[in-house]
Amino acid sequence: MTRAEKIVERLEAAFAPSVLDVVDESEAHRGHAGFQEGGESHFRVMIEAEAFAGLSRIEKHRAVHGALGRDLVAQIHALALTIRP
Amino acid sequence: MTAEETIKQTIDANDVVLFMKGNKMMPQCGFSSRVAGVLNYMGVDFADVNVLADDGIRQGIKDFSDWPTIPQLYVKGEFVGGCDIITEMTLSGELDQLFEAKGVSFDKDAADKIRDANA
Repeated sequence: MTRAEKIVERLEAAFAPSVLDVVDESEAHRGHAGFQEGGESHFRVMIEAEAFAGLSRIEKHRAVHGALGRDLVAQIHALALTIRP
Repeated sequence: MTAEETIKQTIDANDVVLFMKGNKMMPQCGFSSRVAGVLNYMGVDFADVNVLADDGIRQGIKDFSDWPTIPQLYVKGEFVGGCDIITEMTLSGELDQLFEAKGVSFDKDAADKIRDANA
């Protein structure tokens, strides 16, 4: 399973999102710090789920970090998150 | 002094602290660069800590805030967020409100220009 697939699987299981978009932007970072051959180092995630309603910005991000798990977060060099609402 | 003590002392001694990769004059990561750029442009007086210069601080700051990524912004000892959160708060005006509430001086016109440019 690729990292992108793991991200999707874990976020869907945790939040049942109405919108989930995971983009591997690694190629744009070729030659930069953290780039890994084969990609899957830099991700952009857009997620929308009822579960985030009422949470502070920090709480929302912590919830996503927690759902992804330390192992996966540690493998990813860069993770840009947009979380709604 | 342990990494945790160094971190604690740094955020106690400075109203605004950015833990980042590289320094404010020469950031070494796009996310760090964006946050440092916003603070520089808004004329905020902030201390920068280059986590790449010290592995103990690099891991220590993640443990300290229970936050897995760099950069991390602290205002008056309180963790505010990383690049995504600071970007959102800059564009929404919440960062201005936070600085005002905490008594941190900044250039309001510059903040408005950032918002105009990203409208």
